[in-house]
Amino acid sequence: GSCLLKGYHGGHVVIRFALGGCANRPFFRIVAAHNKRARDGKYLEQLGCLDPLPNSHGEKVAGLNLERLRYWLGCGAQLSRPAEKLLGLAGFLPLHPMTVTGAERLRQRRRREGQVGTAPVEGQGTAP
Amino acid sequence: GEPAGPSPTGPRPAFTDEAVQALLYKMTGIDLHKVFRPVQKELKPPQYKLMTEAQLQEATRKAIEEAKEKLVMPPVLDEREPIDDVLAEDKFLEGTETTKYVFTDLTYSTPHRERFIVVREPNGVLRKATWEERDRMIQIFFPKEGRRVIPPVLFKDEHLGNVFQQDRHEDLLNRCIAQFEPDSPDYIRVHHRTYDDIDKHAKYDLLRSTRHFGGMVWYLVNRRRTDGLLIDMINRDLLDDATSLITLYHMLHPECQSAKEAKEAKLQGIDLIKVFVKTESQKEGYIQLALQAYEEAMATSTAS
Repeated sequence: GSCLLKGYHGGHVVIRFALGGCANRPFFRIVAAHNKRARDGKYLEQLGCLDPLPNSHGEKVAGLNLERLRYWLGCGAQLSRPAEKLLGLAGFLPLHPMTVTGAERLRQRRRREGQVGTAPVEGQGTAP
Repeated sequence: GEPAGPSPTGPRPAFTDEAVQALLYKMTGIDLHKVFRPVQKELKPPQYKLMTEAQLQEATRKAIEEAKEKLVMPPVLDEREPIDDVLAEDKFLEGTETTKYVFTDLTYSTPHRERFIVVREPNGVLRKATWEERDRMIQIFFPKEGRRVIPPVLFKDEHLGNVFQQDRHEDLLNRCIAQFEPDSPDYIRVHHRTYDDIDKHAKYDLLRSTRHFGGMVWYLVNRRRTDGLLIDMINRDLLDDATSLITLYHMLHPECQSAKEAKEAKLQGIDLIKVFVKTESQKEGYIQLALQAYEEAMATSTAS
């Protein structure tokens, strides 16, 4: 048999991003792999890709093989947090609570900065 | 645009009806030398074969069948309705992202028409992708031969004129079929421009014996601009094609004068053309001249 067949004790399958590409040019592959494998190492199956840099039409292109994703989720694979957030944005899963929280925090920070800019004397604004 | 609504005598014949297809196919003609004209491919030295008469006939028959395959007409469809379907509105996401995300379903077994392609806008709205976005994404992930992700500049209106001046209508239409879907507005626009240009300069022979001829005839007959084509056919002594053109016209516009007269009198051949010319055509003078010239030629050839 192949000496690369490594069995893991107590490991589990995760669906996560594997980083590829070149310097200053990232490219993520959405991949089902064992938990203990290297981030960019041998994976079980590639389920899609994500290009984090916007293209000439101003869009970030992502592909998801939903059928195989459903298979691995049915087999009991877990998702990494960025993968969950991406699938929430895509509409496949409900929106991740941290996405909502992040949006809320960003809005508060911007409001605080806006108030600091307009009224430096006032001090802390209405932010809780 | 094309006249819509059911005609009083029954449902309007469609492009795909057997009778219509038979007429269009007959008018297309099969010129083997043009169909199997050498296409720009890798250069190979010509092959010579020694055959008996029977084998030559067999080879010609097979060539005609292959030509029929090549002459299958591309579909003529109505323009597709734009998609604007919103799946979710999450307004609180506004401001977190600066660019939109386009998600494509990469399941291999789904047909491209049913594939899910959704866009998450920076303002948080999750909507279905427009047709242009769909075509681009499908070409990125499932590339098709001869199709580019971004449509070439050639298909813009200002550059079509150059192509028409070089008489490359057929190449343009072949590239258009490779690049666009049959129901996309670009496909329809390029085809209509090409047909208009051919009609304006009477270059009908460029498309004869190609698979685009049927589509062109369908376009012209629906808009009742058949005069130029009729003159061209009579000048080339293609009386059968002229009669089938007029039969098709009557099938599509059964309420016109000449259709009723033809149905009553059951006219054939040159009489049908004369009736049509009297009632329906705008360039009556030219067609009468052409018919006269044809009849004189027939008379001299039978006399001599």
